Amino acid sequence: MSSQKKRNFQIEAFKHRVVVDPKYAEKTWKILEHAIHEIYHRNASGLSFEELYRNAYNMVLHKFGEKLYSGLVSTMTFHLKEIAASVEASQGPLFLEELNRKWTEQNKALQMIRDILMYMDRTFIPSTHKTPVHELGLNLWRDNIVHSTNIQTRLIDTLLEIVQRERNGEVVDRGLMRNVVKMLIDLGPSVYQQDFEKPFLDVSSIFYRGESQQFIECFDCGEYLKKAEKRLIEETERVSHYLDAQSEVKITNVVEKEMIESQMTRLVHMENSGLVSMIVDDKYDDLGRIYNLFRRVPNGLSVIRDVITGHIRETGKQLVTDPERVKDPVEFVQGLLHEKAKHDKIVILAFHSDKTFQNALNSSFEYFINLNPRSPEFISLFVDDKLRKGLKGVSEEEVETVLDKVMMLFRYLQEKDVFEKYYKQHLAKRLLSGRSVSEDAERSLILKLKTECGYQFTSKLEGMFTDMKTSQDTMRGFYEAMGRTLANGPMLSVHILTTGSWPTQSTTTCNLPSEILTVCDKFKTYYLGTHNGRRLTWQTNMGSADIKATFSGGQKHELNVSTYQMCVLMLFNNADRLGYKEIEQAVEIPTVELKRCLQSLACAKGKNVLRKEPMSKDVSEDDSFFFNESFSSKLYKVKIGTVVAQKESEPEKQETRQRVEEDRKPQIEAAIVRIMKARRVLDHNNIVAEVTKQLQSRFLANPVVIKKRIESLIEREFLERDREDRKLYRYLA
Amino acid sequence: MAIQKDRVRFNVGGKIFETTATTLAIAGRESYFAAMFDENWDLQTNPAGEYFIDRNPDCFSILLDLLRTGELYIPPNVPEKLLYREALFYGLTDHIRSAKWGQFDGNRLHPLKSVTGRAPGDGTAIRASPDGGCCVAHGSMVHIYDWMLEEHPPINLDYQRVNDAGWVGSGDPTGLVISTCERLGRGQGGMGLFNSTTGELRYKFNVTHENVVKSYTAGALCFNDGCNLFSSCKGRSNEYGIGVWDQNTGQQVDFFYEPHGWSLGDADKLQWLNGSNCLLVATLFPRKDNCYISLLDFRSKSMVWSWSDMWSPANSDDRRVRDAIAMEENSSICVVNEFEDLGFMDLRRESGSVRWSSRSRLMKGKMPDEPCYPKLALHEGQLFSSMNDCISVFCGSDWVLTSRLRRSFGGSICDFSIGGDRLFALHSEENVFDIWETPPPSIV
Repeated sequence: MSSQKKRNFQIEAFKHRVVVDPKYAEKTWKILEHAIHEIYHRNASGLSFEELYRNAYNMVLHKFGEKLYSGLVSTMTFHLKEIAASVEASQGPLFLEELNRKWTEQNKALQMIRDILMYMDRTFIPSTHKTPVHELGLNLWRDNIVHSTNIQTRLIDTLLEIVQRERNGEVVDRGLMRNVVKMLIDLGPSVYQQDFEKPFLDVSSIFYRGESQQFIECFDCGEYLKKAEKRLIEETERVSHYLDAQSEVKITNVVEKEMIESQMTRLVHMENSGLVSMIVDDKYDDLGRIYNLFRRVPNGLSVIRDVITGHIRETGKQLVTDPERVKDPVEFVQGLLHEKAKHDKIVILAFHSDKTFQNALNSSFEYFINLNPRSPEFISLFVDDKLRKGLKGVSEEEVETVLDKVMMLFRYLQEKDVFEKYYKQHLAKRLLSGRSVSEDAERSLILKLKTECGYQFTSKLEGMFTDMKTSQDTMRGFYEAMGRTLANGPMLSVHILTTGSWPTQSTTTCNLPSEILTVCDKFKTYYLGTHNGRRLTWQTNMGSADIKATFSGGQKHELNVSTYQMCVLMLFNNADRLGYKEIEQAVEIPTVELKRCLQSLACAKGKNVLRKEPMSKDVSEDDSFFFNESFSSKLYKVKIGTVVAQKESEPEKQETRQRVEEDRKPQIEAAIVRIMKARRVLDHNNIVAEVTKQLQSRFLANPVVIKKRIESLIEREFLERDREDRKLYRYLA
Repeated sequence: MAIQKDRVRFNVGGKIFETTATTLAIAGRESYFAAMFDENWDLQTNPAGEYFIDRNPDCFSILLDLLRTGELYIPPNVPEKLLYREALFYGLTDHIRSAKWGQFDGNRLHPLKSVTGRAPGDGTAIRASPDGGCCVAHGSMVHIYDWMLEEHPPINLDYQRVNDAGWVGSGDPTGLVISTCERLGRGQGGMGLFNSTTGELRYKFNVTHENVVKSYTAGALCFNDGCNLFSSCKGRSNEYGIGVWDQNTGQQVDFFYEPHGWSLGDADKLQWLNGSNCLLVATLFPRKDNCYISLLDFRSKSMVWSWSDMWSPANSDDRRVRDAIAMEENSSICVVNEFEDLGFMDLRRESGSVRWSSRSRLMKGKMPDEPCYPKLALHEGQLFSSMNDCISVFCGSDWVLTSRLRRSFGGSICDFSIGGDRLFALHSEENVFDIWETPPPSIV
């Protein structure tokens, strides 16, 4: 060193600014760039991980993170463009395979690049809000490969074509499909949805629209539904094999919409195979299928429900108005029960006991049962029949099932009070004639009615049972009190019926034979002696008698007859021939009843203990009657029924109807007063609505009748009309 | 004896280490070792059968020991900062963190350090960040410390007074929202989202009223899991109330206007209740003469619960509520007065009264010269209450006092915050804050 130079020194700042080799960054990046190239060329074995990691670290550390990042982007883009070209060049079926192979390689390369650049990922990227390396790689792949113009449409078309081939029954490479679809999913949900799912759904929609039109022309309803079901299963399977799980709902929606929803009405109404014929033929499988498929589409079930409701109403209407069926009440009710059982079974087996279907069924039954005003009477008659004979020798459970079925029909009745009327009549007859099979069954039914309609509904029916019981006790008491004094007279059995509890008929007296009259008077004295302040009236029209008669050849018979018949027959103890007028005068039975009674004594074949002249079916006022000596019967006991229609005759029906209407009046009035008392002021329409609602459980109140009752209440000054608004009513305390 | 198959030899900066692949696997996939031994890399050793790493061998030895034992022991001759830098290189910072301090438990806290700041005047707020760092607001400055308690460049708010600060959350570890006072005549103020490492402003949260951007003063802040940010706002044209913004876009999504006779825009404290999807808003004495506590339901735009001491009898002067916190698990709100008495209110009953707990008033009669109002915090079923220079910890269903945290230095505690398994307490006098943490559970 020369001293010359030594002197020539410069004064420098104590601290030098550290200058990194200006080429440092470029050099380091070259190393890393080279490594990325090698990685993409699958030639990484010569690379030193430690060196690369350290270099990437140093670049970030020395604030060259930006250069590193942008270098990475451009290098990766360069390679992806190369890959795009090679994928584009692949021919036909090799296209997908090439894409899949490159995708696998890209994933591996990306992982390695990320390994080297891990430090950048950890520090530089979060603080600069850049995309992390892995995500960056996926984004670049998406933009350069999947979204490249020459690949995008080709990829979609290929995928869709494979799906279509599989739909046509071909076997496809599901593994390859799964990988490629997985790639789309990995690239982000929006890529999968935009680049595959949406076109897939569109194409499927068109396909199934065509197929459904083709199928509906060729197949019947059942077959069509089987095909649709199969398609649905296929699509679900496809999703599980190679699509994203979230596509399942979407694709099944497409199938449902195109194959079911659009053809819904046509399928249901298909001639000879639609819903109605499925119901008629009890095709539970087909019905179950239609239910399961239609349930998937909006309004599907309501379409089924509407058709079924219509069908049941129509067939039900025919059932209740069929003049043949109306002839026999028992058959009529049996028919209803049969119909109900059939549809119940369908609802349970095919419709999964769907509540809405049960409701539809109930409302349909309610609709048509009430179409026939005689339904309440018939149902009561059905019960009557069952309780008289139908339930003999039947187990308790079976009795219960029958009764439950009856109750089910009873629930459908709108005019429950009419049923009550008839039921009371029929029950009275059963009790008085002692024809009821089982008291347990009777009581059980009354209990059911009570739980259904409340205490009020059955209190009178229960009263009837109580009367029967007390009558027995009274009779026992009577005979004990009388002792031997009655030994030779006729046996008397009296039922003491509380007025009001029983179906009363206008008291029709008749002249009882003197023998009977004596006993009756004794009983009357006894009864009134033990019960103060009561009044007894004889209901001769409801009684019966057993009398012994001797015919020619000493043939003896015991005749079971009604009280009226007994009175007539007793006359023949003293005469062999009597004219109609004579009989009428002697017994004073009302004409209609007398005629009916004579008819049954003289005209019924095999039961004619009297002879009539002239011989004819009907009884006229000029006829004369003889004791029929030659009467014979194989049986010792002969029951002579009264000629009385089991069903009510037209005038009787009118009468019952009238009585029902009459009974409703106080109930309607009571309801009006109750409502008005609570509300004070109310307009007409609201009163009608509330009254109808209150009385619903008993009968359907007629608005006209309600109006009349309101008017009557106004007359009696329970209510008044508002002075200004004539539609308003006021309650008068 | 056969050589163990998973034995690995490292040459780190010239020093040889031997370990096993199993030990290295503990580092996890996001570490240098996992990347290095990935099968993609056809890894070659040098002729001596070693893998070379050009790093500091002393630190490597500590980190290797951490992987082997799960415990961190730093010899006195190794600066912590050096070790942290090395851990960052290998991707082991999370291991360091979990070895350094354990899961937060108010009853096992130990003081780690006191950090002295340089800012003049009283601190406004201290907020723990999710990763164990914190920020301290002083006047118009916000100082930021990372988990190593390394100070980052402070954020200067250009002479606008900072009211509150809050960390956006784990999704964005560097996102810091700062709310400031409006500066009259300059149309500034409001809130902004800042990058805590670089200090740059990412965007501002605006209040718009009928499509006009208004300048406003932002008060207390609160975040919910659904990416919403809430703040109490006082706008220039009576935009008083609670504003709601989307954290990710910065767009205003809702505004709850303050009802007449109530206070929302001045609120001291906001708390989001996850279970009921409601926001607790508390305006407290002495900011206002009365306290107003309410729960807002933004879906129905209604105040579903409210309480105020303006309905209370006048003699309750000594029972001024100074802070409030909702405790959803108990369906109650806990409040505290200036004597550090705790009070409770039932959230299921509308406008109930405060049930003050019968805890003895230890503080009464010996108030320090510069008292600080009590503050409350809740963390995993533990209730924290700061009073003067000490923090009390309450546990159990009856909130029994179980621990007291106190350091003799720095004067009264004006704010504290729990987060990242650490508790930060800011003192008012010496501009000092303490860090408390729970030691990791012992290995043996």
